[in-house]
Amino acid sequence: MQAIGSYLSIPFAQSDPIETVSQLSGSWNLSMLIPILLGAAGYLLLQHGIVKGKQYLFMGVIAAVASVISASLFIPPAFENYILFLFCALATGGAFGFLTARDPVYAALGFATAVLSISGVMFMQSAMFVAAANMIVYAGAIIIIFLFVLMFAQQTNLRTYDVKLTYPVVAAPIGVIMLGTLVYCLTAEGAFPLSRPDATRAYSEASPPENLMTDEGNAAVKKLKTIEHTGSYKSVSPSTTSGLGRSLYTDYLLAVALAGTILTVAAVGAIALATKTTGEDV
Amino acid sequence: MIELIKEMWPTLWPTLAAIAVILAFVPILGLYMTFIERKLAAYIQDRVGPNRVGPLGLLQAVADGIKIFLKEQVVPDHVYKFLYFVAPTISLMTAMFGLVVLPFGPVPPEYESGFRFIVAPGVDIGILLIFAISSLSAYGIILGGWASNNKYSLYGAIRSCAQFISYEIPLGLSILGVILAAGSLNIEKIVASQGASIWDWNFFWQPLAFVIFFTSSLAETNRLPFDLPECEQELVGGFHTEYSGIKFVLFFLAEYTHIVASSFMTVLLFFGGWHFPGLTGPVDGSTAGMLLRLFVLIAKVGAVVAFIMLLRWALPRFRFDQLMGLAWKGLIPLGLVNLFLVAAVFTFDINKHFLAVTIVTIPIAGLISTWRLQRELNSTIALRAGKSGLGGASA
Repeated sequence: MQAIGSYLSIPFAQSDPIETVSQLSGSWNLSMLIPILLGAAGYLLLQHGIVKGKQYLFMGVIAAVASVISASLFIPPAFENYILFLFCALATGGAFGFLTARDPVYAALGFATAVLSISGVMFMQSAMFVAAANMIVYAGAIIIIFLFVLMFAQQTNLRTYDVKLTYPVVAAPIGVIMLGTLVYCLTAEGAFPLSRPDATRAYSEASPPENLMTDEGNAAVKKLKTIEHTGSYKSVSPSTTSGLGRSLYTDYLLAVALAGTILTVAAVGAIALATKTTGEDV
Repeated sequence: MIELIKEMWPTLWPTLAAIAVILAFVPILGLYMTFIERKLAAYIQDRVGPNRVGPLGLLQAVADGIKIFLKEQVVPDHVYKFLYFVAPTISLMTAMFGLVVLPFGPVPPEYESGFRFIVAPGVDIGILLIFAISSLSAYGIILGGWASNNKYSLYGAIRSCAQFISYEIPLGLSILGVILAAGSLNIEKIVASQGASIWDWNFFWQPLAFVIFFTSSLAETNRLPFDLPECEQELVGGFHTEYSGIKFVLFFLAEYTHIVASSFMTVLLFFGGWHFPGLTGPVDGSTAGMLLRLFVLIAKVGAVVAFIMLLRWALPRFRFDQLMGLAWKGLIPLGLVNLFLVAAVFTFDINKHFLAVTIVTIPIAGLISTWRLQRELNSTIALRAGKSGLGGASA
């Protein structure tokens, strides 16, 4: 929110994301479970209605709308919160579409909608890099490849067992428990440990950019500092991307290296499996 | 709500003005680019080209626009209606949304107030956002092709999709070197990093990256050497076979917007943006200086657009396996090499202009491929001559 917000000078934008969470802390009450339960009921009814008939579908839509309205009552009234809520609603709608669409192509499009809306949520939280990466990797590459495959393997008349989920009655309570726990952790007092980046470590994200400028071995950063002749270009937020990169490659170096290794192994394995020949010459 | 808008107005109106400029210029640009393309094509083929409507045929574009708007809306029976109508819109929307972080004129360091030539200045992930948006533009074509419910359209869409996914990788790799040099993803900062002298333009010390970038962005825009998704000889019209009238035009407006956007990217990333030695110094807020820089930028972009249009008549279309081979076997390894070299230059503090040597890889690659092609051709000729006893070269 900081980036877009301070540029549009929205008051909420100046607050720290962590502070926002701490403001939420202590606001827990049981009525927060109402939208979750309504949503679960709506999902089950919609799922049932697609197989069985119109009246369930209608009730499902009513339950889903009630869920959205009751959830919106918990939102602090502010302009950007409504945009955020719109994105969230769109993501949920996309997920509904993904689960209930009869045609696999529409299901993939529902998934794409959900992913893009989640990117929107991330943009609103000023997690610009993660949002853009999410768009490139999921919406731009993976779902396109899904569509690619779906369009080749086109199925015509689907049977009900293709549409019907195996255990929606089991899945929905699990979802309710997970969401309820998440809401409890975020809103109950003391349940969510608020941690800040460790400022004592040399390379942590918390250390101010001035220190980073003087670090040795940062040719690119030093070079940037020498470009003074065209004036300094203001950035609306203090360089989130470079901060993220610095944090990833210092604070979380082990995790990044491990993830990279696993991906490389997976790629090698995929190639090895894909080129396996069945006796013929390639 | 009213108070909020009042409070935001000083920063809101330049944004709205910039959006209005983009919305107004994209259709006009599309129309006049078709006109310029027809004229260029005509001159290359020793014709006159459109010359009847208005002085020098200049109103031809307007006449075309009116004609297209008044055309009958033909909707085939067998299409999937919803996606069939949505697809061209997605196509144009993604093409135009990418322009949000693209400066179409000089952006002064103090952009807080007054009109500026960019919708969203100072976005920290500028290039990445353009990539994120443009990676969505495949949706328009693939959905349009699928919703047409027609084999040719589907093949066009699938080709486009495969091409798009493949060429996005070298595109990203080629830009990494530039980002490394500027130390930022912000396009204004990247332009600023090329401002000192003409030799600081990324083109002059990362020529390899430029070649990779330009080739890949041509492929992304479906322009001629890469226009397999719509190749007439094989696929009737490709993904737009079933589209007519204004729906067809939306696809092509999107394509021309892509061309303009990638020309802007080429200029901003590799040719110093609004800088030109002797003409422009540091960006100041004065009107004359801004206009001069705007002129420099637009002139450079115009040159790149004209170059892309000339390429159409200079290069034949690829075969599909060649197209894929170029991306996966040619451009991606070269991109990795370029990234490695740029990183090495910065790590060991070598003079960056040594990197200009990398341009020799292009003629070497050309030589190798020509030699291999010739050898293949010779062996085919020898084979045919041996089989049929004829001079097989003409067969």
